[in-house]
Parts: sequence; structure tokens; C-alpha cells
Amino acid sequence: MKKTGIIFFPAFDWSLGETHPEREERLLYTQEQIFEEGVMDLPQIKQYTPVIGDLFDVLRTQAIFPGPEEHSLEAHLVAVGCSLVLGKALMAREIDNGFALVRPPGHHSGTIVWGNRGFCTLNNEAILVNHLRANYGIKKVAIIDTDVHHGDGTQDIFYHDPNVLCISIHQDGRTLYPGTGFTDEKGGPNAWETILNIPLVPGVGDEGFLYTLENWVLPRVQEFKPDLIINSAGQDNHFTDPLASMNVSAQGYGRITELIRPDLAVLEGGYSIQGALPYVNLAILLALAGEDYSGVIEPQKIKRQVVGGEVFRSYLKNLKKQHDMTKPAWDYRKEKFLPQGNWVYREKSIFYDTEYFQEYRQEYIRECEHCGGTVLIITQNLQTYRRGVLIRIPFEACPACCQAGYDLLEFFKAKEKIVLMQNQLKNEVHFWKDSREVRSFESKN
Amino acid sequence: MGSIIGIDVGGTFTDAVLIAGTEIIKTGKIPTQSDDLLNTILNALDYLEVSKINSLEQITVSTTLVTNAILQKRLPPIELVLFPGSGMKLSSLNWPVAYRTISGELDYRGRIVAPVNQGEWQALAEDLIKDNSSPKVAIVSKFSHRNNSFEKDLAAFLKDRIPNISLALGSEWGQANFYRRSLTTYLNLACRDLAATFATQLQNALKARGCQAPVRVLKADGGVLPLTKVRPVESIYSGPAASVLGALALSNSEESYIVVDVGGTTTDIGLVLSGKPLMSSKGAQIASFLTNVRSLAVRSIPVGGDSSVLTENGKIVLADYRLGSAYCLGGTTPTPTDAMCYLGLINYGNYTRAEEALNSLLPENQQNAASRQKIAEQIIKLMTEKITQAIEQLLKEWRDEPAYKIWEVLNKPKTHKFQIQLSGGGAEGIVAALEEQLKARVIWTSLSPVSNAIGAALAKPTFSWTLNLDTYLKRYRIEETGEQGEWTGAKKPHREVENFLFDLARRQGESLGINMESLEKEPFDYFPLVEGYYTVGQIIRGSVHVPPGVIQTLAEGGK
Ligand SMILES: [Zn+2]
Ligand SMILES: [Zn+2]
Repeated sequence: MKKTGIIFFPAFDWSLGETHPEREERLLYTQEQIFEEGVMDLPQIKQYTPVIGDLFDVLRTQAIFPGPEEHSLEAHLVAVGCSLVLGKALMAREIDNGFALVRPPGHHSGTIVWGNRGFCTLNNEAILVNHLRANYGIKKVAIIDTDVHHGDGTQDIFYHDPNVLCISIHQDGRTLYPGTGFTDEKGGPNAWETILNIPLVPGVGDEGFLYTLENWVLPRVQEFKPDLIINSAGQDNHFTDPLASMNVSAQGYGRITELIRPDLAVLEGGYSIQGALPYVNLAILLALAGEDYSGVIEPQKIKRQVVGGEVFRSYLKNLKKQHDMTKPAWDYRKEKFLPQGNWVYREKSIFYDTEYFQEYRQEYIRECEHCGGTVLIITQNLQTYRRGVLIRIPFEACPACCQAGYDLLEFFKAKEKIVLMQNQLKNEVHFWKDSREVRSFESKN
Repeated sequence: MGSIIGIDVGGTFTDAVLIAGTEIIKTGKIPTQSDDLLNTILNALDYLEVSKINSLEQITVSTTLVTNAILQKRLPPIELVLFPGSGMKLSSLNWPVAYRTISGELDYRGRIVAPVNQGEWQALAEDLIKDNSSPKVAIVSKFSHRNNSFEKDLAAFLKDRIPNISLALGSEWGQANFYRRSLTTYLNLACRDLAATFATQLQNALKARGCQAPVRVLKADGGVLPLTKVRPVESIYSGPAASVLGALALSNSEESYIVVDVGGTTTDIGLVLSGKPLMSSKGAQIASFLTNVRSLAVRSIPVGGDSSVLTENGKIVLADYRLGSAYCLGGTTPTPTDAMCYLGLINYGNYTRAEEALNSLLPENQQNAASRQKIAEQIIKLMTEKITQAIEQLLKEWRDEPAYKIWEVLNKPKTHKFQIQLSGGGAEGIVAALEEQLKARVIWTSLSPVSNAIGAALAKPTFSWTLNLDTYLKRYRIEETGEQGEWTGAKKPHREVENFLFDLARRQGESLGINMESLEKEPFDYFPLVEGYYTVGQIIRGSVHVPPGVIQTLAEGGK
């Protein structure tokens, strides 16, 4: 029997719009179901109480531009706070695993936050992972995203981080938001192969999903040897989900949870709020608690065409071949402001679907054999034309990368209006506006 | 204003008080006969000379009748019939009683997922009367608090075939939690006859004494209901509730304090926040039964003035049991009361015997005044340490209450400055030690020893009505009464639904004799029901209640 922590925060007074999928009603029936079943009375279940998260924890991981005060973050901060409560309980060995059954979700929210994307503003899992690394000596973490959408925000945050393995299994980006998550997205120059994307054709059900886990995901996780496994437990692979086209059942989600054996699971998407969520959440919870979930059966039957069997296996085999063939090709730059070292350049634009605008982004990564490498990001909101600069000195940074971070800071804080320094090595965050430091957070230890 | 009586039946003593207006006319402590509660209560009433009181308006009792029957497993056999549907396995939870299951499944909104099977019902009816022509049957279906039709249909079917059947339905308990609802229904049915017999005997005995005053019973949630209207299982833990109400009666209304009621065998601890007793976020547990019974958040620990003091490997320990009264009061074992007596903290007990009691804990060569002083202080400290631990647990429970809305998280009360309201027979001697240990002001007055009976006497009738309305399915339900009915109002009502609940509460409250002036409203939650991209109705949750409290306070200055 596992001691399982649960934090249930349905945010009954928060929505993105009355008929929006992310609305008050979303976890209403889940609450009815798990309370009626008496799940909270299982002797191994411990229910935790929500608290509001800390901005320091957020800014260590994500740059909120132009500044946190210009966003309405309360709901998102509570979801973050909930995830951290379970993280702390896990570290204190009060629980063996835990499930943050919270709204709003977070996995589309990336390194830079100019607004809400795909219903997400703050990335609950990423903030949690970095909190545990900063405070509890956790070194290596695997995040397995079983939401039907590509976990692009989480991938973005850890793209250059060799110590976080991000695996996302999702419906192919050519047929679904956010349109990314292909096999050739494999991580930055110092973190190559720590991003693994497995885009699936629409229609895959329990059999195909579980086959993918057993034959690709789990072996990769084993090889990585993480200290901690986090599951971004989105539930929109369910066969009744209105936004996607997959065919996973509540039983399937139970088995997925059993196979992944996450230390912590955090709810992501899932918008079949009557047909799926009450049952999928129950199955996940029971699986985490080591209880029999075979009786959890949703009333509806699968009506869509299921892709499985040999057809699926050969699809997956080809996909893996494609993945394995992708080799890195870096674009090196020698801008004047770049400190000593080899700097890889990437640029991209990111669409914020909730508020309908684009972010344009330039990234410079210091190639390094000793650490994750300092990262410089220059970003612009193409709606307001406001710019921001993020400098990130990674966890366990080497002295050269650390120095490079400080050199960049000296240069940009004089030149740019908005500069954020994430010093993960020293567990500090500093925020400059108009060359003045307006906020700073430092670790108390 | 006429007079009222409060009686609190404790494990060791029963307290009785007669109050006229704001004046305490008479108080008393009578030994509890745990095997004859009726007689105990009658002794208390006779002590107050109930037959001579002219204008007696009411008698309120907190009894251990149902609590004891459950704890001592004196319950008649009950058949528990469940409609578990799908979901978590029943065997995942620990069922302290046997059950049988039949088919039929509802979902979380009370819609039928799988139909019942009348063939099974026939077989069930035959089986039930195999060895009992008047079986007692509790019927509970999962989600019956959303739709009671399976339970009602089966009940009607069985009643038709077994005229002498006694039935109870899970939907009479309208809160979520199938497991707890089942056990609550079971216990309530099991205690029904016992409670009814007790009520009749008590009323007859009162009549024989020429007393016409109505009798009220204190409930676990701190409210009172007429003896004939209370659901038996709701009267469990009325003792701790009486402690909290007693503290309310003896304090000023807006304060926050911890209630510590030290009896002979147990100490009850409760919490009052700005004049409002804290309710437990879960139902009460009794023996291995988890129930849906609303209760005050209280902790009971087996520590009291009569707890036995032992030596183990040369160390003093406080046992969690009592072996008769304190040595200084003629008992056989040393107790905290002996320590208090020796230290002059209480003005009763035989000093020489207290000295002997303490000596018995010391090696022969250390039986001197200094060692006795030291060991007596140590005993008091052990007692206050246990109480402090329980207080900390209760405060943690309060801080860890779940929250489901952002508003609740953002407005979470920070810390309160707590005073300690001390009461009960064993408490007087620990005032200073508790003050020292908790670094908080301890309030102890001359009425504190009988504050439980005062709390029972002055308890306000309370009730609460929690609505769950599904305007799309046109069904409303009331959690506390289990009432379910058809909604004929709008699909998206606003003020209309609040008025609906207010009217319903007023009507029912008045018929229970509740003063509805203090009816309070909690914020209502509106959930738009969306299908496709259209709002097709609303689910609305809201509640109104008359909170627990006392009809008047008797506050006086602390000692
Ligand atoms: Zn999703
Ligand atoms: Zn480096």
C-alpha cells in the first residue's frame, strides 16, 4: 500500500469564460465522484490543503514579462502552491507519491510568459521541479507528459537543461494545438536527447499508448536514471474528449499511471468534464494509491475508430527511426555582447492563443561540457512591442558560464528596460526595470 | 422568563444546572451510572427538585446513550443492502459490518447508468424473511444523495412483501460519501429502537413527577433538537459539544479561544473562532464507523483528573485509563487529583491520603517533602503536556482545512490570539500549569466546573440547509434533511434560488421550533452547465444556517 498525497483544488470560482473549456464546472463532477466514492477515507490517502505559491519559485523558472504585477496570477499561483505542497510532503517522506488535482493547468506555459497560452499561465510542474532541485538536492528529473497536447511549455523551459528529461506523448502537431512536438525537437547543444517527443496519429487507444510507454518511454527513462519522475497527467487522450481525437479509456489511464509510477502527478488538460474526468481522475488516484481500479468504468463506449495492432506498431517503428536519424546542426554566433565561449543561436516565434498575439524570441546558449550552459533570451511581445531579456545561470553552473551570465547582465541591465536574471546556481532571482533593481529574491539557506 | 435545566452526562459525573433568566439557581454533580442512564438523568432531575419547579420551560440533555450503545456493540442486527454501481471496489475500504449488493447504477448527477433488476429484489425479499419476520434493513445506493429513486423503489417493494420490515434509506443523509452514508444509515437504524424506548421512558418518568416541560437533546454539531425529532446517531459526542457551548455561555461573544474541558477520565478540546465554534470538515467517527454526522471539531483524549499515575522503569507515566476515584478521595491509585491536592491547588481531598498516594510512587528513601513536591509538579506537567499536544493537533486540523476556491485560499485567516477557556471537574488544579505551558491567558470561573450543563441548558436550536440544484435535470436536494424534489424555476435563476432556499429553511425551521432570526447565508456557487458551446442550465450550491451558539451568555470576570 502506497501513502498517497492528494491536493484537490478545483478553483470553483475561476474560469477563462462562461462556456470556455477551462471553466468552473471542469472539476465539479470529479469532486462529486471522488467524494462519493470515499476516496479521501482510504487509510493511505492524505489530503493536503492548498496554499498560494511564491513568486520567487515562479521567477526562478519562468520570466514573467513585463512584470508579475501586470498579470492576474492568483489562480495560477494557487495551482503552483498546491504542487509545491505535495513536493514538500514527498521530500519530507510523508507520502510515497502524490496527485495535484488542480486547475488551472500549466504545461503550455514556457520560459517566457507574456500572457496565457493554451489555458496556461504558470508551469506548475516546471516550477515544482526547480523548487525541488533548489531546495532538496534533487539532481535529475524525468517529466512524462501524457496530455494529448504537446507539452511545449515544459519542453521550452528545459530545452537546454541536461538534467531534466522531458518526454511528451501527444496527438501529432499537424492535427492539434499547439502544432509542435516533432521527433526532431531533441534538446539544445548541452542537453541533446533530453527532449523526447512521440507524436501519435489520431485514434490511438489504450493498446497503442501502453505499447509506446513500454517499448520506448520507459526504457528511455530507465536509461536516464532520474531521482524523480513527474507525470503531467492531462486527460484529453480520453475517447470522449471534445478537443482531441484519441481513444484512451479510464482503465487505460489507470494502467498508464501504474507503468509510469510517478512520484508526483499534476493534472493538465482534459475537457470531457462529464464523460471522462470523474472516471479518469478516480482511476489515476486509485492507481497511485495501489488500489484496484478495475471497477472504474465510464458509462460511454468508444465510438471513434481505434488505431492499434500491427498498423500502429509499424507507425511507431518508423517514428523511432526518424527520431534516431535526427542529428544536431547548431548555428554558432559571435555577437559583440556575447562573452567568451561558443554560443549557439536559435530563434522562434510563439503564438499566445488565449489573447491572440505573437512573441518573437532569440536565444543564445553557451556551449559547455561542464554544465548546462548559461542561456540568454531576448524576447519581444509583437502586440505591445515591449522587449525583455532573460539571463539564466543554470543549476551547477561552471565558473566560466557563471561569469558569462554576470557579464551579460552588466551589458543588458544598462541597455534594456526589462531584465531578469535567474541565477539557479546561487538560487537567486533579480529583476531590473530601467536599470534599477525592482525585485530580488534570495534563498534563505 | 421561566427556568430551564441542563444535564450533561459525563463518564464519571453527571452535571446538572437549573437556570432562571441569567441566574444560576442550583448546580450539582451526581455520579454517573453508566449502565443506567435513565436513572442517572432522573437522579439529576430529582436533585434539582424538578417536581417543584413551577415554570420549567425546557430540559436539555447531552447523553452518552447512543455513544455507549455503539462503543459497547449493543446494536441489533441490521441488513445493509447496497447499490454500489461501478467505481472503487467496496473492499478498498474497511467495512465494520456485513453488506449485500444488488445491481443498478447512478452517476454523479443522479442519472441512471444501469437499471435495477427486480428479479434480484424478489430473491432479496425472500432471503430477508428467512429467519426474521421483522428484519431491519438499511438501503443505500451510490449517488442516492443525487437521486433517491432506487432506494425508494426497493423500499416500497420490500414493504409490500414484508409488512413488519423496518427500513432506513441512505438518501435521508444527503451528503456525499457512499461509504459514510451507508454506515451512518446503518447506525441510525440500529439505534432507533433504543433511542425511542429511552425517550418514552424519560417522558413517562417526567410525567410521573408532574413535569410537562419538553426535553431537547444536544447533538454533535452543538445544536439541539426535540427528543422526538433528533436522529439518534446525531446525538453522539454531545458531551464535547456541551463543553464548547459551555465555554460560549461563559465568555464574551467575539473572542477566539480554545476550550479545554477536563473531566475525570477524558479531556475534550474544542476551538472557537471569533465566537463561532469550528465545525469538523469531515463527519464524526465512532468506533470503526466513519459517519456523515456533522460535528464540531473536537479532540477527546484519555487524560483526566482521575487518570492513574504509574511508575515505569523509575519514570512517572500517566495511564490512559482510570481505576476509580483519586486516592485522596477514597480511591485506590494515585492520580493527578492527588498531586493537585498535595500542592494545594484544589480545596477538596484528604491531604494525608494525597501524601500517601505520592509516597507510593517514590522509593522508600525518597519519601520526603521535597521529592513529593517534585513528583507532584511532574504529574501536573505530564497532564498539561498531553493537553497541549492535543491542542496543537486541533489547531493543525483547523489550519489544514481543505479549500476549493481561490477566494478561500486568499482569505485564509492567519493566526488568532487564543485564550484558554478551561472547564470541568478536573481542571481547577491545572490553571497555572496550563498558563505556563501555553503562554496564554487561562480563564477559570466559579461556574467552570459545571459549564457543560450550562452549555446544554443554553444551547440554541440550530439547523443548516445546504442546497444542490441542477436546473437542467430540474432536481433539487437538501443535504441535511435528505429532501429531494422537482425544481420548477428558471434554468438560470439568481435571486430566485436564494429565496427558494430561505423560504424552505424558514418553513422547516419554524416547525422545529428554531428561532430563524439568526439565519445566515453562505455565498452561493453557480456553475454554468455547458453542452457543446451553449449554457443549458446551472448547478447551484448554497447553504443557509442557524449557527450553533447559546441563547444568552453568563460571562463574568475570570478568577
Ligand atoms: Zn491538453
Ligand atoms: Zn558551463
